[in-house]
Amino acid sequence: MRTVRLRINGQSVMREVPDNRLLIDLLRYDVGLTGTKEGCSVGVCGACTVLMDGQPVSSCLTLAVMANGAEVLTIEGLAEGERLHPLQRAFIESGGFQCGICTPGQIMAAKALLDVNPQPSKEEIQTWMMGNLCRCTGYYKIIEAIQAAATEKVGP
Amino acid sequence: MTNRINIGQPTGHVEGPAKVTGRAHYAADVMVPGLLWGKCLRSPFPHARILSIDVTQARQLPGVHAVLTGADLPDTRLGRFLLDMPILARDCVRFVGEKVVAVAAESPDIAEEALALIDVQYAELPAVFDPVEAMQTTASRIHAQPESYAHPPIPEVFLHGGIAEFFPPIANVVSQVVYRHGDLDVGFAQADRIFEHTFVVPTVHQAYIEPHACLVAIEPSGKINVWLSNKMPFLARSQFAAALGVPEDRVRVNPVSIGGDFGGKGSLMDSIVCYHLAHQSGRPVKMVMSYTEELMAGNPRHAAVITMQSGVTRDGRLTARRARLVFNCGAYGAFIPLHTVHGGVHAGGPYRVPHIEITCLRVYTNTVPAGHMRAPGAPQTVFAVESHIDMIAHELGLDPLEFRLRNVLTEGDAAPLGEHWRHVRCKETLEAAAQAAGWNTAKPPHVGRGIGLYDREPGAFGPSNATLTIGANATLMLLTGAADTGTGSYTILQQIVAEELHVPLTAVTVVQGDTDTAAFEIGPGGSRFTHTAGLATLAATRALKEALVSLAAQHFGCTPEQIQVQAHQFVSPDGGSLALAALTTWAATQGTVPLTRTGSYLPGKPVEVTSFCAQVAEVEVDPETGQVRLRKFVTAHDVGTVINPLTHQGQIEGGVVQGIGQALTEHLLVQDGAVTTLHLGDYKLPTAMDIPELTTVLVETQGGPAPYAGKAVGELSNVAVPAAIANAVFAAVGVRLTELPVTAEKVHAGLRAKEQGK
Repeated sequence: MRTVRLRINGQSVMREVPDNRLLIDLLRYDVGLTGTKEGCSVGVCGACTVLMDGQPVSSCLTLAVMANGAEVLTIEGLAEGERLHPLQRAFIESGGFQCGICTPGQIMAAKALLDVNPQPSKEEIQTWMMGNLCRCTGYYKIIEAIQAAATEKVGP
Repeated sequence: MTNRINIGQPTGHVEGPAKVTGRAHYAADVMVPGLLWGKCLRSPFPHARILSIDVTQARQLPGVHAVLTGADLPDTRLGRFLLDMPILARDCVRFVGEKVVAVAAESPDIAEEALALIDVQYAELPAVFDPVEAMQTTASRIHAQPESYAHPPIPEVFLHGGIAEFFPPIANVVSQVVYRHGDLDVGFAQADRIFEHTFVVPTVHQAYIEPHACLVAIEPSGKINVWLSNKMPFLARSQFAAALGVPEDRVRVNPVSIGGDFGGKGSLMDSIVCYHLAHQSGRPVKMVMSYTEELMAGNPRHAAVITMQSGVTRDGRLTARRARLVFNCGAYGAFIPLHTVHGGVHAGGPYRVPHIEITCLRVYTNTVPAGHMRAPGAPQTVFAVESHIDMIAHELGLDPLEFRLRNVLTEGDAAPLGEHWRHVRCKETLEAAAQAAGWNTAKPPHVGRGIGLYDREPGAFGPSNATLTIGANATLMLLTGAADTGTGSYTILQQIVAEELHVPLTAVTVVQGDTDTAAFEIGPGGSRFTHTAGLATLAATRALKEALVSLAAQHFGCTPEQIQVQAHQFVSPDGGSLALAALTTWAATQGTVPLTRTGSYLPGKPVEVTSFCAQVAEVEVDPETGQVRLRKFVTAHDVGTVINPLTHQGQIEGGVVQGIGQALTEHLLVQDGAVTTLHLGDYKLPTAMDIPELTTVLVETQGGPAPYAGKAVGELSNVAVPAAIANAVFAAVGVRLTELPVTAEKVHAGLRAKEQGK
């Protein structure tokens, strides 16, 4: 067992965890933040994407101890109170999701993109988002949503 | 025509805020106090006798609360229609991945550790993996007494005039259905030439990103609470209660979001063994399949071997078709809700084929049991139909577009199985696709265009019910018993309520009830939901509106007939007017609000319209490597009123990309009976990098049976894509692939064979 101290969505968290505890399980089952989803469990589908010190990581491949001292942002931490983040609004308005299971990961990956590249081209979006699988939308509306959020063509 | 305020407006999902903030709860997200975790040990053999199972050490492991084998459970058979699957294997295993032992423990890690301590001894039996081989008289029998498996009567609406038989006298055949229309001998006698081709379509997986999950908690009263990834909670309740031999009201299926369905989320999956673990341990138990388990033992699309034989006149008119479709059922038939793989009825395509005979066989093999996937059976069938049509056109020296145009259904024609559709716009849809694709424009070398064509009618089966309540200040809550699998069905219902009552969308919430609180609803599937649940919602809304008019009459002291409804105002004969919010706030003080009305819809006669989808793929083939690049894709649809253009287009786009996956990359590889593509790195879904430039053409036609004259869209756009792409590859480089997927390796082999003059 090890002690892990980290900040999750701005809140300090301390937990005793086994060495092999995965970050996704810490988030979902130790802290109760089930917005982060587990799909493939091998770092391929991107559903479990969270930001660790601003970088997108697959929380299904990240040990909880690796997050010690880190600032972790999950989908639950993106909105400011009831006010949705522009990406969240854009995903709704553009139809950037259907079933929604991959959506937390899509939005967190897209946030990481816009943080480093606020005005990405369509091709840059496609390349960046390649690691986030979606079975519902065919990606067109995810790309539109990210473009809309980047250009702030989203409603209040 | 009235001005519509919500219908036809692009509308974001009503459940959007929950889904983009992580607040939407899926089955794996549900937590209850005292939870245990269930896991299963699965068979490593495709066919074997179980000699012994030793669970002694597993039972002794600290933290383990229950260990169950087939011998510990009643000999109940599970299934959505045919009841042939044991809860856990009994005496023998029939596919790699079959559940043999189940454990419940305090953590997933302990449960895994317990599985590793279980010793099962097997004696391997002869196995058969290919459905055609499985039908040989010498093939080993996978089920000793299949006739003993129960099933309900086959619903008339799904027979299509076919003659259906369970367990005919052919080895390992689960069901045989023969559809006949016209006289095949006459049809072939009229032909100048007869063509026959055989096609192979391997298994693909629905690949929803959410693996199956369930949680079972038994209350002290005996009430069984179930949360599971199942889009049809009421049917799940029936199946669950039947499997336990308890009354349906003992079981409550609770609402959860569904993380992708595509036909694959309609079964009980692990929930019955989960119940037995909960019963045995006295604790709630949750089971979440790993994605490896999903790919190994989910309920993927049926593989198929399809032979098409067609008679054609010299001037390129179809006279007859004989189609034989062999679907690989896998080891159990439990996962589909019908007697057969329904898409086989499309073996005639949307063409005038006056004489036809279609034989659909569903055959047991020692492979993963197959289930339903988006337009079940249709992509397999249509790959064969549309490739066959293309091959005949080539043999006749006709342009594939021209050959199709000579044969497609037009108004007044009988469809192959005899239906007389109304408002037939097949030709127009095909021409619109061809025009958008620049069918006759010049192409660079190694570029080709190919067509795929398909039609299906809106689903018209099963009851739908809706319950609508209005509260003070005109807040509206629609209670439905269906899950929204992501298609936007709740949003459609929200739009209908808002439209009828002239209120903003934000005034209407849609709530999924559990199976105790909501009225019976079959749920989404078979392109039925907008049609049937839409009409039930429309009925509930109109009934509520009538009740509100009566309230207004009470308020004004006149008769209901004297009240005029103008936009959202109720106007009395003497000119008094009351907004809906004011009316309901007044009525609340009278105790007459909250006010609830219900609406029901049960389809009666078959629908009279179908929907056509014509697609053109443009590919570029690398002549050295055989690599296929999809440059452009056109999808044309004849549509009725589009209720929500945003989600309508979402269905089209998502379906096209699923079709692209099936065409180019997806193949649930099976070796010696075992699935070998066991994670999403090996089972290759399209990514954001793999999508072509997409053009959608909507050909507006007269109406369908859904509210406001809508039609179906959900199971159209994925179906003909593989054929369009394979036909485009042939047009590009002259290599004909009769087996999916269209990989560079196969095209490369075809190119080299062509060079060698083979």
